[in-house]
Amino acid sequence: MSIEKIKIVLARNGVFGALILMALIFGAINPRFLSFNNGSTILQQIAELGIISLPVAFVVMMGCADLSVGAIASCSAVIAGYALLGSHNVIIGMLAGLAFGVLAGAINGFLVAYLRLNTFVVTLGFLNVWNGLAFLLSGGKTLTGLPAGFTRLGTFFIGFVPLQIAVLIVAVAAAWYILNHTAKGKQILAVGGNNRAAHLMGVRVEATKFRVFVVTGALSALAGMMLSAKLAAVSPSVGNGMELTALIVVLLGGIAFEGGTGRISGVVAGLLFVGVLRNGLVILGVSAYLQTILVGLTLVVAVALDKSIQRIIRSAWQSRARKLVQQDSAGARSLELVSPGK
Amino acid sequence: MIGAAPAMDPALPAGAPALERVHFQDMTVDFGATRAVDNFSLAMLPGEIVGLLGHNGAGKSTVLNVATGAVAPTGGSFAVDGVEVPRGSSPRAFAELGVTVVHQEPALAKNLSVFDNLELGRSRKGGRDARRHTARAVLSKVGAGIDLDRPVSTLSLGQRQLVDLARGVMEGEIKVLLLDEPTAALGAQETAALHGLIREFAAAGTAVIYVSHRLPDILDVCTRIVVMSGGRQIIDRPAAGITARDLAQALAPGISKPELTDTSKDKTAIELPFGSSRIQARTGEVVGLFGMASGEQFSLLEDLYGVGRPMTGVLLDGEAYQPAKPLDALRRGIHYVPADRERDGLLPTVSAKMNVLLPWLSHMGAGWWVGGAGKGMYSGSRNELNVHGPTGEEPIAEFSGGNRQKHLLARWMFPKRPRLLLLAQPTQGVDFGAKVDIVRALRRLAAEGTTALVASAESDEIASMCDRSYVIYKDRLRELRGQKVSDENLLESLLSLAAGNEPDPTTVPFKDSDRKQLP
Repeated sequence: MSIEKIKIVLARNGVFGALILMALIFGAINPRFLSFNNGSTILQQIAELGIISLPVAFVVMMGCADLSVGAIASCSAVIAGYALLGSHNVIIGMLAGLAFGVLAGAINGFLVAYLRLNTFVVTLGFLNVWNGLAFLLSGGKTLTGLPAGFTRLGTFFIGFVPLQIAVLIVAVAAAWYILNHTAKGKQILAVGGNNRAAHLMGVRVEATKFRVFVVTGALSALAGMMLSAKLAAVSPSVGNGMELTALIVVLLGGIAFEGGTGRISGVVAGLLFVGVLRNGLVILGVSAYLQTILVGLTLVVAVALDKSIQRIIRSAWQSRARKLVQQDSAGARSLELVSPGK
Repeated sequence: MIGAAPAMDPALPAGAPALERVHFQDMTVDFGATRAVDNFSLAMLPGEIVGLLGHNGAGKSTVLNVATGAVAPTGGSFAVDGVEVPRGSSPRAFAELGVTVVHQEPALAKNLSVFDNLELGRSRKGGRDARRHTARAVLSKVGAGIDLDRPVSTLSLGQRQLVDLARGVMEGEIKVLLLDEPTAALGAQETAALHGLIREFAAAGTAVIYVSHRLPDILDVCTRIVVMSGGRQIIDRPAAGITARDLAQALAPGISKPELTDTSKDKTAIELPFGSSRIQARTGEVVGLFGMASGEQFSLLEDLYGVGRPMTGVLLDGEAYQPAKPLDALRRGIHYVPADRERDGLLPTVSAKMNVLLPWLSHMGAGWWVGGAGKGMYSGSRNELNVHGPTGEEPIAEFSGGNRQKHLLARWMFPKRPRLLLLAQPTQGVDFGAKVDIVRALRRLAAEGTTALVASAESDEIASMCDRSYVIYKDRLRELRGQKVSDENLLESLLSLAAGNEPDPTTVPFKDSDRKQLP
């Protein structure tokens, strides 16, 4: 492996480096931080955020944004809550919540893909619409007395793995497979990188955007219900602020707002970073308000660093290309020397 | 007949530099290892209108860019009214000396009003009313009676060019006016108006350099003709007495013709109505569609690919074909390589390999294609077009311009062989070696049964790769076959079509004896 290649790998995975460094610092201050139990706690804390961040990552890769995910999570949770209280059937309740998520995603997708409205405006609008609806339906109250079958999901273990973590792992694996090993994944990158070129390549740009928004809505609903199961109660503000945290995760993961690029490992790194930072600050006893300030500042620093990281990657690729050309011509020259005649 | 040696204008008295409005002296421009302009010298008197001609890559735009300060020359000097402009001066310094350029697509802030655009980047003097008065006077000077408050986005292209010109007038006296393909997208009336304006400026002492592909426009307005090829001046003489035929011949030297395939016995692959006649191509034939810059031939390809106007009466292998979207075309094996490949084709953020394979992934099935089939397909395509550079895993941006172009051509030529390949200016903006590679790859595909339609505004491009060509002007059509598809014939046909003295092509019967003799 050449120096350039190492540089590229290091620069690309800088978030992981920062993550490890941060974990070691927290661990040095408080050894309890590095325990297995705390690791598991962190994963459980970020599972729902991760399930929302993954589809949001795809949305950003398409050159779009979805600010309505948190509100969809809240509203689905409320709808699922009423369906659970009414039917006492876990499956009916969750299907109702998911159906709402799909519907909300489809509305976003239709307006963005087919009517070509600006994604920021559309999803900002629906952030308010669904938040309002969640409060309107619940009257601002928290719903309790949910069926035990539902709340048990919040503490359910598959073997020794908590259900939330298992769902997160499946979601990460699926996202990775879709992005790297399916035509659809590459088409999403193509749509984000060059809309018109994608259209000319026969990619169904509108359908692609629509589907990504639908899946985003569905997964937001899932995350809202998972949080409610964990809390054993449905609050109309359960998804508050998740849209921004998910964007922070995605941007920390090195996915540019311009669209067309992104790696799932980046999203995972961003997710772990946010999880570790929050958990570490709690263990250190930092106030919640200060935590919010620190998470925000981290994002700005990360994006600023990303600029210089991109520059490092670019120059490494270039010096590598130059070397290859030199080797090429050197090879050609030595061939000339040995070839007879001429 | 015109001589091939650079000749000074006989009207220019020797040893009288003070009279010269513009003087390029021994100008040389290198881009890396490429010499774009080689020892270019041009002295112009006030009032001269020089038509600058040449094929793509001949160095015309570079000469213009030197004169505006956008490109710093490697050697030589540039002087306006005997004042030498120091090398490396900013475009601003050139503008202050009285150099104004009007581009084919004017660089204006479209969202702002005409008035705002005229004032943009200038220090404001005086009250608003006085400034508006000046602006109105300037606009009327360039013959544009445009409302000052109109947003530039609502203006026609011709009007925008006039606003661009008015910006130059705002600067003070225009001593040197540079026009880069000013009429490429203008109608006849707008062209005539622009030419009238150019003559007025020249009469007032402005030296004009007029770059264009449109030979009739050059002959209409220019007083002196300079032809460039490979960065050198090959002709410099007064325009009087030059015919379009002379110009066509002067531009002629191109790539020698490759061996062509005999397709006279093959069946018709595609047939489409055009004007009052039809355009057709046989299986395995490479057919040119030659016309003006941004002419009808390019829209035809878009229509055929389902991204233009709806079409009727198209027969693909004898069956009716009506594309509504690119997928319809792709399903029938029709692939389209757009003219602006970087804008309409490049996926800047994904790897070189994915740039080639992306449209075909869904045919390869979801799964682990990255490893086996995909890799082979990519390296196969690369070999066919002789691509150089880093490995396919690296970002496409790391490849040189010519190799990026090759990737985008490879995408539509090799992973899946097209039945009908639609190419718009396939060798535009690539160097000679890449041109040869592209022509060779296209001829190989044709030999294997791909039919190709090549749309271009470059006669040498059509001549270098086509078995047969249609010359298109508006809704008029003329056909050239076999060895008759040459640079001169194409240009001459286009000129006579544009002049309107062309017999209805439907009356020309299809004779197989017209087909060239094959070895």
